[in-house]
Amino acid sequence: MKLPQVLDLAAATTLRTQLMERRGQKLALDGGEVERLGGLCLQVLIAARNQWRVDGVDFHIVNPSPAFADGARLLGADDIASLGDAP
Amino acid sequence: MDPMDAIKQTYFQECDELLASLEEGLLSLEAGEADSDTINAVFRAVHSVKGGAGAFGFQAMVGFAHVFETTLDAMRSGKLDPDPEVVKLMLRAADVLADHVAAAKGEGTVDEARGHAMADELAALVAPEGGAPRTSATPASPAHDEDGGDEWGFKPLKFGDDEPAAASAGWRLVMRPTKAMYAKGHDALLFLRELSRLGPTATTLDTSWLPNLEGLDPEESYCTWTVELPAETPEVAIRDIFDFVGDDCPIELTLSGANVVEPPAATPAAPIDIDALLNSVRTPTAEREALEGGAEKPAAAATPAADKGASKNVPAPAGAGATIRVDLERVDRMIDLVGELVINQAMLQQRVMESGAARSSTIAMGLDELEQLTREIQDSVMAIRAQPVKSVFQRMPRLVREAAGATGKQVRLVMEGEGTEVDKTVIERLSDPITHMLRNAIDHGLESTEERVASGKQEEGTVRLAALHRSGRIVIEVSDDGKGINRPKVREIAVKKGLIAPDASLTDEEIDNLIFLPGFSTATTISNLSGRGVGMDVVKRSIQALGGRITISSIPGKGSTFTLSLPLTLAVLDGMVVSVGEQTLVAPLTTIIETLRPKPEEVRRLGPRGAVLAVRGSHVPLIDIGVALGQRSEPIDPTQGVVLLVESEVGGRAALVADEIQGQRQVVIKSLEANFQRVEGVAAATILGDGRVALILDVDAVVEKMFSDRRDAAPLAKAS
Amino acid sequence: MSKTILTIDDSRMMREMLLMVLQGAGFNVVQAEDGVEGLEALARSTPDVIITDINMPRMDGYGVIEGVRQDPRYRATPILVLSTESSPEKKQRARNAGATGWIVKPFQADTLLDVVRRVSA
Repeated sequence: MKLPQVLDLAAATTLRTQLMERRGQKLALDGGEVERLGGLCLQVLIAARNQWRVDGVDFHIVNPSPAFADGARLLGADDIASLGDAP
Repeated sequence: MDPMDAIKQTYFQECDELLASLEEGLLSLEAGEADSDTINAVFRAVHSVKGGAGAFGFQAMVGFAHVFETTLDAMRSGKLDPDPEVVKLMLRAADVLADHVAAAKGEGTVDEARGHAMADELAALVAPEGGAPRTSATPASPAHDEDGGDEWGFKPLKFGDDEPAAASAGWRLVMRPTKAMYAKGHDALLFLRELSRLGPTATTLDTSWLPNLEGLDPEESYCTWTVELPAETPEVAIRDIFDFVGDDCPIELTLSGANVVEPPAATPAAPIDIDALLNSVRTPTAEREALEGGAEKPAAAATPAADKGASKNVPAPAGAGATIRVDLERVDRMIDLVGELVINQAMLQQRVMESGAARSSTIAMGLDELEQLTREIQDSVMAIRAQPVKSVFQRMPRLVREAAGATGKQVRLVMEGEGTEVDKTVIERLSDPITHMLRNAIDHGLESTEERVASGKQEEGTVRLAALHRSGRIVIEVSDDGKGINRPKVREIAVKKGLIAPDASLTDEEIDNLIFLPGFSTATTISNLSGRGVGMDVVKRSIQALGGRITISSIPGKGSTFTLSLPLTLAVLDGMVVSVGEQTLVAPLTTIIETLRPKPEEVRRLGPRGAVLAVRGSHVPLIDIGVALGQRSEPIDPTQGVVLLVESEVGGRAALVADEIQGQRQVVIKSLEANFQRVEGVAAATILGDGRVALILDVDAVVEKMFSDRRDAAPLAKAS
Repeated sequence: MSKTILTIDDSRMMREMLLMVLQGAGFNVVQAEDGVEGLEALARSTPDVIITDINMPRMDGYGVIEGVRQDPRYRATPILVLSTESSPEKKQRARNAGATGWIVKPFQADTLLDVVRRVSA
């Protein structure tokens, strides 16, 4: 699954719906096209990772774009892309 | 107008205001009032001029302003004392900056050599101190090193960690975005990015309230962030970022060690200080550290200064919250409309009276109240355009400095009544006459230093510029303590130039007034100053065009005083409405002393057409208004009409004869010149309550005309 | 991809100024002369940032902000108020309507661009 270019308020609901549809599947989200990562979508991604952790399924964000990495770093969550799955 | 030009004009207008406040600030520094507000205002002025100059590509101006700004910045941060020598230099630098602005406007050139020399002098003020403090900021941030942070002070932290990083020396900011914040196009990311631009940040994300995806409302805000910033980051810069967002993203800001918790920034602070915001965003950290006063102090020592109480009280940009900018056009439109309202109200009142309604009827009383209200609205609207003459006066110290420099005289300028208010249109047209009168006072009025010493005067001459309100007019006085008008010489010149007959008998006052005649100049040698100027005749004409008058009083050896008197506004007038033949005319009430019906024994004929009226023992010339305006060839019998006893600036008292008085009322002035040629004896026109157009009488012109008509006849009589 | 800015201001001078500054910085600029026109413009173009005056004929800036926020496509679009006003009450009102930021007129080009970039980044 590819993450969309803009992860802002308008994208948050869709993102959650798409992720919920893949509940229980192993996930590797491709962050290569992301141009903006906002606070709400970050929440969705972290909540998803936690959910997958509870469900005991692998969850990764791979191939983060520079914008994704920069946004994650600014948001104090720069481990989301690299760590991803539960320890 | 080309849009670029229009925009540029706006910038230039702003420059004029900025230059004025720059000079004002420097002058108060010179007077020893060196508070930080003043220094900040001065700095901001130069900074803003520079900003716009950059936008329009005025590179020379940017260059000079930059050097100036740097020096002011040193003063702002306390590295440079505003001692008299420094401030004097800065005043001259302000003049150079003004030259740059003028050159950009295409109104002059910049003396490059002078500019460069000035820039060097300014740079020299800061050079010795400039280098030192830059590096000393480093000891302030050891805490980050202990944290094991990289050069960004950034230390990755694991998720769900509720514990903030160990207290380090610096700001700790907790931000709690709300759903409402995200709903308004904001994003936590934007704030965090802004904060990171202020300096090295360490950001901790708190996700402890975040549900799993299943229970997540994707548009609700669950996370909070804790950001640590270096202690030397200005508090105001941090708060500015959150200024507008207010309650939608409450923040807690604390300086480490202090356990006082800031209440959320509930009340949005006054207006955004654009400059502060701009600086906070654009100035690289290292540079800012060097600029901020507290930067080189260790964090602990900086605490009291950076204490929230202290810095929170930093005043908002002076007056910014209390004033608004309004297009003059809008105000003028409103003034026009109120003028129409006044006319309309008068018409309505007249119709009601004509319909036979009693004075005491409710409708008439209601109309009276309406009239009252209309007047008040009109006054309030006029007050919007009223401005203190300060904006004009402010330009004068420079002018005097330059005039003094050009003539080699020592001059002290004393200004009084700068707060005197007058309509904007009048203010705009005050500048040239005042400029000329001041130059004239310095050039012709004051003696050279040697002369002054020889006559036992102080070496330094004094020129006084004063503004005051007097009987509904604004009066501007320019006086000097120089030699006074040299009457024999003035007379000699006037005779030589054929302006008066050699044997004309003139009073002192009449001689003094000769200098207002076209083609008169008393300067025997053309000095730098008078060479460029207009004559006093032009000054007089421009003042008269405004409905004003200019008078001189001069005492030989003691000095001269030029007095300008102008109406406070060019838009409304209290007038006496009179009938003259078929015409209805309005005489300005300010000129009328009294009205009377002459008795036959008070009228005395003088020659075939002239007549005087005896008023309480003195005789004043009778002038038939109809004749003066060319409406009738023969004057009416004064005893059959009414007399307006007027005081004119030109010829003292006169008795104007009209057929009948209709009453007093306020009228809205409509310029005649816009539609017609200037009519002698008529100042303007107005529309009366019944819709008729009435002419407004120019009393001075009428009286002057009578005098000049008689003067034309007089020399012949005397010569014979 | 350059971003599109919609500016809504009844003053020609301000529109020209905004056009010059924003276009000069490489933005696409769409302009409207009052609130009604501003909302109409939303149908024609998809701005990334909206800059609006407050005092305008036909529909004022508050109306614009509310109108924009009611449109699902523009729920997340930053709206900057550009106004000569700066009273806390007016700001509060604009914020309640859904405004993202407030810039006091007259503005400096750099400041405006900075704020626009900040909210559109």
